[in-house]
Amino acid sequence: MTWEKEVEELSQKRALAQAQGGEEGVRRQHAKGLLTIRERIDAILDNDSFQELGATAGDATRDEEGRLVDFKPANFILGFGKIDGRRCIVGGEDFTLGGGSPNAAGLRKSVYTEELACTYKLPLVRLHQGAGGSVAGAGGSASGAAPKTVGNPVNAVPRFKSVAQAMASVPVASAALGAVAGLPAARLVASHFSVMTENAQILIAGPAVVQRALHERTDKEDLGGPAVHAKNGVIDNLVEDEAAAFEAIRRFLSYLPANVWELPPSIASDDPSERRAEELISIVPKNRRQIYDMRRVIGLVLDRGSFFEMGRLYGRGTITGLARLAGRPVGVLANDCRQMAGSMTDAGARKTRRFIELCDTFHLPIVSLLDEPGFMIGPAAEKAGTIRFGTAAVMAAATSVVPWATVIVRTAHGVAEAAHYGPDGFLLAWPSAKVGAIPVEGGVAAAFGRQIAAAEDPDAERERLERAMLARQSIEPRAESFSVHELIDPRDTRPILCDWIERVEPLLTHLLGPTSFSFRP
Amino acid sequence: MATKVKLESPGSIWKLLVSVGDRVSAGDTLFIMEIMKMEVPHTAPVDGTIAAIHIAEGDEGLEEDMLAIEIEP
Repeated sequence: MTWEKEVEELSQKRALAQAQGGEEGVRRQHAKGLLTIRERIDAILDNDSFQELGATAGDATRDEEGRLVDFKPANFILGFGKIDGRRCIVGGEDFTLGGGSPNAAGLRKSVYTEELACTYKLPLVRLHQGAGGSVAGAGGSASGAAPKTVGNPVNAVPRFKSVAQAMASVPVASAALGAVAGLPAARLVASHFSVMTENAQILIAGPAVVQRALHERTDKEDLGGPAVHAKNGVIDNLVEDEAAAFEAIRRFLSYLPANVWELPPSIASDDPSERRAEELISIVPKNRRQIYDMRRVIGLVLDRGSFFEMGRLYGRGTITGLARLAGRPVGVLANDCRQMAGSMTDAGARKTRRFIELCDTFHLPIVSLLDEPGFMIGPAAEKAGTIRFGTAAVMAAATSVVPWATVIVRTAHGVAEAAHYGPDGFLLAWPSAKVGAIPVEGGVAAAFGRQIAAAEDPDAERERLERAMLARQSIEPRAESFSVHELIDPRDTRPILCDWIERVEPLLTHLLGPTSFSFRP
Repeated sequence: MATKVKLESPGSIWKLLVSVGDRVSAGDTLFIMEIMKMEVPHTAPVDGTIAAIHIAEGDEGLEEDMLAIEIEP
């Protein structure tokens, strides 16, 4: 007697699991221009590095003699893999089986994902396309008999606890690669970086549910397509296709440690630390109304080609991303004066808060290139509750634990300015810096309104006052008063920051471990 | 197919630099918005001829994504 028969059945199950939703299901997925979950996992990981867990979990049907006649695999695929030679956990719904709405074994594997990442202290990558729970229950059917025990035990651990623990301890990156609704949508945003393809949708609930409750006819695209979610901060980056989504996640992870107990990975940089870009001496126009390209400044100061921007399409006055300085990973926080003068909107404030918390969680020093005129103002900004989100961003900066270097590039005004400095930070300024409570024009209009109106020539009086106040916002007297560490030649920014990163790098070791707060979506 | 140039952000039109029928090259400035006191140039994404203009100098309170100029090849 041997166990050949049992092993034979196991091979059958393995083959059926590889077949996913069967030829028809896979064909339908491909017809939509989408990859299957197994193809996605192979595409994002290093070649042949996937080590699956629970490959034969699923729902088996046997005949009277106990022979396997049918097998529906769990519709969540999970396992270990490698990205750029570094181990990670990867998982995702199988949309070809029940539209990715979890079957019984699929649900177990799905909710195990975060626990696995926490246990092994490894980065987690989730590739989402699927729906949440069905009214019939996991693995149930409309006509089937109800199970004898329903609901979770009263003492069950909350399902999202492991999701929260994962976010506090390992990098989590997620992708929306098709329709993502309900629970998978929540897990999509429970990440440090999320990416969405042009043909994906993210929905709390789909059109049928919406129509029943709100009597509104919609479609998935109107409800949760990129036009909605790329601009509201639900996802960080919008990309054209799945290949670009995988590349974005691989890139994001390249700056991060495996977990909060390890240092971010340094590499050898071939960009000289002493490089002084001549262009920086003239990049900020002398005319304060004229704009310049802050991304160009970032490119000239940080290691060449190292900037990976996150969240470009929302909160656009604020720029956030990861980069390297002399080979060391850093976070970059900056302002884009082309977008509402670089002011901090409600979305920009949420982006800033999340970004600072990301850097604190994974011990990335922050380089802040400051040109902040203040929170966005006006009726729309007030209605959006900007002051609350903005103040949360300011608090995140005020309690940040990583080293900061702030370069005042141009304006630094208002409460929002405070979101650009960390405690005990290294403070530099360019000669183009203007610092003060509020921008001169609005400040003069508010403080000297009566004086201007009473003047013989109101316009001349306004200009006179604006000139006088502008002189008071000049950086020179502040530099002379040791209000900044150094007022510098803009061309020296990179060499000075490269010296700084070498000085602060040893401090990071003392910060390792979880932060006093947990990163929240 | 006309190439559509839209407003990047809410704001007003400070200077309009082209007229219908003008030939433009990619990168030429078509108009300059004033957005939060900043001058924000909008440039031609392609070479072509200005086919239609939907904005005027001095227009205020315009919405983001509003169609401003159409360029035909």
